[in-house]
Amino acid sequence: MNFAFLPSLPFTLSYPLLFGVLLVVGMLGGELARIARIPRIVGYVVVGLALGPLAGAVGLDSLLDEARIFVDLALGLVLFDLGRRMDLQWMKRDWTIAAAGFAESLFAFFAVLATLLAFRFDPVKAGLAAAISMTTSPAVLMLLVHDLQSEGQVTERAMNLVALNGLSASILVTILLGSAHLEAQSQVEVAILHPLYLFLGSLALGAAMAWLSRTIARNIEKTREVHFALIAGMVVCAVGLATMLKLPVILALLSFGLFARNDDRSYDLLNVNLAPVGRLLYIVLFVITGASLPMGSLAAGGIVAVAVVAARAAGKFTGVLAIAPIGGLRMRQAIGLGAAVLPMSSLALLMLHDIARLFPSFATDFTAIILSAILMMEFVGPFAVQWGLRFAGETLPVDPTATSRMTARVPTAPTAD
Amino acid sequence: MPLDFTVSRALTFGVELELMVLNTRDYNLSRGAPDLLGRLAKKKLPGEVKPEITESMIEINSAVNESHDTLVAELRVVRDAIVAEAERLNLAIAGGGAHPFHQWQERRIYPTERFLHVSSLYGYLAKQFTVFGQHIHVGVESGDDAVYLTHGLAPYIPHFIALSASSPFSQGVDTSFETSRLHAVSAFPLSGQMPPVHTWAEFNRYFDEMAGYGIVASMKDFYWDIRPKPEYGTIEIRICDTPLTVERAAQLAAYAQTLAAHLLANRRTEPVEPLYRVYGYNRFQACRFGFEAELVDPYARKSTRLREHLLDTLDRVAPDAQRLGNKPALEALWRSAQAQDNDSRWLRERYAEMKSMPDVVRQQAQRWKEGAPQEAVAAGGRS
Repeated sequence: MNFAFLPSLPFTLSYPLLFGVLLVVGMLGGELARIARIPRIVGYVVVGLALGPLAGAVGLDSLLDEARIFVDLALGLVLFDLGRRMDLQWMKRDWTIAAAGFAESLFAFFAVLATLLAFRFDPVKAGLAAAISMTTSPAVLMLLVHDLQSEGQVTERAMNLVALNGLSASILVTILLGSAHLEAQSQVEVAILHPLYLFLGSLALGAAMAWLSRTIARNIEKTREVHFALIAGMVVCAVGLATMLKLPVILALLSFGLFARNDDRSYDLLNVNLAPVGRLLYIVLFVITGASLPMGSLAAGGIVAVAVVAARAAGKFTGVLAIAPIGGLRMRQAIGLGAAVLPMSSLALLMLHDIARLFPSFATDFTAIILSAILMMEFVGPFAVQWGLRFAGETLPVDPTATSRMTARVPTAPTAD
Repeated sequence: MPLDFTVSRALTFGVELELMVLNTRDYNLSRGAPDLLGRLAKKKLPGEVKPEITESMIEINSAVNESHDTLVAELRVVRDAIVAEAERLNLAIAGGGAHPFHQWQERRIYPTERFLHVSSLYGYLAKQFTVFGQHIHVGVESGDDAVYLTHGLAPYIPHFIALSASSPFSQGVDTSFETSRLHAVSAFPLSGQMPPVHTWAEFNRYFDEMAGYGIVASMKDFYWDIRPKPEYGTIEIRICDTPLTVERAAQLAAYAQTLAAHLLANRRTEPVEPLYRVYGYNRFQACRFGFEAELVDPYARKSTRLREHLLDTLDRVAPDAQRLGNKPALEALWRSAQAQDNDSRWLRERYAEMKSMPDVVRQQAQRWKEGAPQEAVAAGGRS
C-alpha cells in the first residue's frame, strides 16, 4: 500500500496557519486581559512576548520574521486611517492643534536628544533615536479609542497630534538619514537625493493612490460595502507599492490617508469604518510586535532606556500642557490629551528596522535601548491612554447599567422647556 | 394647588429649536454638546442655548419677540455664533427633525440629574428621543385664552407638520413619511392632546386629578402637540420638526402668531369633541403624505387636500398677517405650499443626487450655516 497521499513529516507551517494561530492566541490573550480589567492590547503583547522565545526554541523564528508582511499591512491600514483622521481644515481654524502637535513632538525630541547626549552618544545617531521617540503608536491609540468607544475633543485632537508627530518624525528621520550617509562616507549626491526620494516619493505615491481611489469611487455605487472593498484594496496596494519602490510605508500611507481626506473636494470617497478588518490585523500586529521584543533587551537597555522613556514623557506632557489650554481645552482635557499621546509601539519598531537596514552602526548602538523603551511603553502606554481618555470623560461609562435602575415613579418629560 | 397663569402680552412670540451636533468626518451625530455649550457659555447671546436629552443635541431658546423681522434677525445672530464655535471644535450643526442615519443606541445621555432620571425611567425611549423639534410659544393674556387657543389651533396642526417636515430618513432608511420624528414622541405615555376642557379652572381640576394620582408633577410632564404653558403665559406648539434653516423656523412662528391673532379676533364656538375624533387621523395623514394629505373636516363632514386647506387658510388670515408684519413670511409659506416644497423634499432630492446619507447630512449642515436661499426668504421690510 502506498501512503504517499498522507503528509510527510516534518510538517511545514504555512502562512494561513501562522496567521490563524497568531490571531486566535492573540484574541485569547486579549480576552484574559479584559477579564483582568486591563487593556486588551497588553494581553496581545504578552502573548507575543511568550511566543517569541517559544518559536525560537522550536526553530520557527524565521517564519515569525516572515510574518512581517502582516505587520506592514496592519500598519499600512493604521497609518492610512490616521492620515484620514488628520484634518487640515480644522488645523487652519484652530492653530493650537498644529502648535500643540509640534510642541509635544519637538519637546520630546529635544528632551530625548539631550538625555542621549548626556550619555555621550554620537549626535546624529542620538538624533535618529530622538526622532523615533517623537512618534506615538497610532495603533495603540486607535484600538483603545475603539475599545473604550471614546469620542470627543481629546480623542479627536489626540488623533491629529499622533498623525502630526508621525509625520514630523518620518520627515526628520529622512533628513537625518542624509547626515548618516555623509558620516558613512557615501557620495554627497546620495546623501541629498536619497532623503529627497524617500520624502517626495512617498508624497507622490500617497497622492496618486488617493487620486486613483477617488477616480474609481466616482464610477461605482456609493455604498459602504463597495467603498470598504475599494479602500482596503487600495491600502494593501499602497503598502505593496511602497515596499516595491523602497519607500517608507509610514510616510506613504500617512500621505495616502491625508490626501484621501483633505483633497476630496467633491466628497467622492465614503469615510468607511475600517475597524472590522483592522481588528484582525491589529491583534496580529501586537502579537508579532511582542514576539519581536526580547525580554532580555529590558536589561540591555538599562538606565539609558529608562531615562529616554522619562524624558520623552516629560517632553510630550510639557508640549501638550503648554499649548492645549490656549485652544480652550480644560486642564482635565489637556492632561488626558498628554496621556493619550504617550504610547510607543510598532511604529517606532518599524522606524528602527528601516533605519537599521540603511545604517547598521545605528543598530549596534541603539537597538537595545529602543527595544527596551518600546517594551516598557507596551505596558505603560495602553494604561496611559485608557486613563487619559477616561479622565477627560470621553469613554463610555464603565458601568452602562448604572443609570438603568428605577429611581423614581413620577414621569418627567424628556424635553427641556 | 391651582396652577397660576402668568399673564403675557398677547401675540408676543418666541421659538425653541433643537439642533444636531455632528462630527465633520462622516457627519454622524457626535457627543460634542458639552464642549460646545462650554464655549458658548462665554459668549453673550440673545436668548439661551441649553443641553438636551443626549450629548448630540443642543437647544436654542429665542428671546420674547414682537415681530417676525426681529425674530429672524436674532436667530441668525445666534446661529452664526453657534456655527463659529462649533467649527473651532471641528463640529457641524444642522437642522432637521431626525438624523438620517444615526443609530439611537450609540447616543449618550447628557449627564444632568434630570436627564439621567428620564433615562432611568424611560429606558431605551430616552435615547430614541434623539429627535429635533421646533417649539413655538405665543403669548396670551389669560389661562382661558390659552385653553381656547390650544383647541383652536388643533385643526391647523397638519399645516405645521407639512410645512416643517424635515425627517424623511430615520436610522439609515427612507421612512416614506414626510416626518418620522413624531413617532418618537408618540411612544411616551403622556403624549397626544389636551382633554376637552374649556376654561382654565376646568383645566386646573384636570391637572389636580392627574397630580393626585402621582402621574404628573408639573406641566412639563404633559407633552402634548399643543399645551398651555402657564409659567411663561403662552401656548406652546410642539409639533414642528426643526427646519433646515432659521428662516423657515421664523416663518412658522409668524404663521402661529397670525393664526392666534385671527382666532382671538374671530372666536370659534363649535364644540371641540368632533375635532379630536379626527385629530389622530389627520395628524397621521400629514406626517405620511405632507401637502398631499387628505384632511377630514368634522364640522363640514368632508375631506380636503391639505395643500388646498393650507392655501385657503393663508388667504383668509392675510389681513391679520399684514397687520402683524408677517406678510412676507406667510407669502414664503404660500409659495412653499403652492410648489409642494418642504425640507423633506429637499432632503430626498439631495439623497437622489448624492446617493449617500453622510453627503445628505453634510449638505444639511451647509444649509443650516448659510440659511435659506434669497428668493425663498421673505424680503426684509414690511409691505
